[in-house]
Amino acid sequence: MTDILTARNVAKDFGGTGGTLSIIDGLNLAVKKGEFVSLVGPSGCGKTTLLLCLAGLQSLTRGEITFKGVPVMEPPQGLAVVFQDYSRSLLPWNTNLDNILFGMRRVAGDARAKRDRAAELLEAVGLGGFGGHYPWQVSGGMQQRVAIARGLASESELLLLDEPLAAVDAQTRADMQDLFLDLARKFNQTCLLVTHDVEEAVYMAQRVLVLGPRPTKVVREVTIELPRERDQLETREDPAFLAARHEVLSLIRSMRTRKAA
Amino acid sequence: MTPPLLRGPVRVAVALAVVLALWQAVHLAAIVPERYFPGIPAVLAAFGDMIASGDLLSGWALTFSRATIGLIAASLLGIGLAILSDLSPVFGRGFRYISDVLQPIPPAAFVPMAVFSLGLGTKLYAFVVILVTVWPPYLNGSAALEAVSPVQVATGRMLGCGRWTLLWRIKLPSAMPEIFAGIRYAATISLVAVVVSEMLSGSNGIGFMIYKKAFALRTADVFALMFVVGLNGVLMNGLVSLLRRGVVGWHQKMMERQE
Repeated sequence: MTDILTARNVAKDFGGTGGTLSIIDGLNLAVKKGEFVSLVGPSGCGKTTLLLCLAGLQSLTRGEITFKGVPVMEPPQGLAVVFQDYSRSLLPWNTNLDNILFGMRRVAGDARAKRDRAAELLEAVGLGGFGGHYPWQVSGGMQQRVAIARGLASESELLLLDEPLAAVDAQTRADMQDLFLDLARKFNQTCLLVTHDVEEAVYMAQRVLVLGPRPTKVVREVTIELPRERDQLETREDPAFLAARHEVLSLIRSMRTRKAA
Repeated sequence: MTPPLLRGPVRVAVALAVVLALWQAVHLAAIVPERYFPGIPAVLAAFGDMIASGDLLSGWALTFSRATIGLIAASLLGIGLAILSDLSPVFGRGFRYISDVLQPIPPAAFVPMAVFSLGLGTKLYAFVVILVTVWPPYLNGSAALEAVSPVQVATGRMLGCGRWTLLWRIKLPSAMPEIFAGIRYAATISLVAVVVSEMLSGSNGIGFMIYKKAFALRTADVFALMFVVGLNGVLMNGLVSLLRRGVVGWHQKMMERQE
């Protein structure tokens, strides 16, 4: 299968008054079409900066990022970001339906067809009757569903998920994880999930990339030897799940202790 | 819960009655000589006379339309300047110095100079009113455009918005509630500026009438006119609130929900 997203020798510095701060240095990664990949790392290692760079929302200091073989300079069509802060990412002056329609601004088609498509997507994320509501009239989990629907509406092929479930409660989180997996398959989405939750990273992905401390790069790749079909109870008790979880967690812990020492 | 008797129109009526009673008490106690502080009946009679003669209505129409047109022009100009400051940080920083100097100058101070260069007429009103009314929409607008959430901007860029679409679809709607707070404040300033200009250099309007009556020592007329100016402010605020509900009603509902 072909790589849909690649990063080669990527570096990102932030210029400050006290000199430059190196956030990312020598980072390489590749995501194949149809994959679900998780990115984890010690807190403050630059995960979100990396995601913004991959999305074309921040420029690189060195290196190159390609999406479908084309270098990323600006946010390309076919790539959608689902932000952690859904309450700000959704436009509060637009209804849920209008937020999804806003996601279609680069999509061809007449207004009528777009409305139908937006209504279909709302149905697909389980919010059939909520198109006329404003985002702030529905719960956090529901807002994040609208944000996903908006991403899909932009005819995305790659979803970059920036800790999308960090702000929702635990029960909702489990449901949303399964919803993400379900939608990714149904809509043929390649997914790159950034998360600080190692169990979530392993549960969702076929591959987990572990980032090192700052300036960060990928220090280990863990392949998750689990069937594609996941289940909140069975998967989490599977020896392969526990082994992968152990490997990733101990790696991150060793980075923390090394930093403290 | 507020008892039902103290809600809405009842509350307004009670407040008004208290003020009028105090007024009449001060009048009857003759703390201020009677000719300078007429009683409520005298003020009401003066009001009735001016209505009957048609003077009040024509004066009111002039003053209110001047203030309204001035407010609309100043708001549009203020929003335009805020957008310019957002698009060009160099302009924004430079213009901030100019606004810092111009903003504290009261409307009365502009009038004498404007009379010489602009004459006594519409241009004078336009100049003075806009120059003092433009600041709240401008300052609120530029601060709000600067404070737009980076996540909202990133969302717009992710969906392919260019600079203008970003402004039109994300930044301006996001700044609108703050801009309206500024316009509401500006409404009062606009009214004050019009009345002051009319007093100093006008030949008609409520401000001119107040000045003329004051020199004729027709204090009951002056008080009646002052009430009219006050009610103008209430009317103007009401109109701005109506417009605000139409444009940023979503924000008011969202705020009510969060309380």
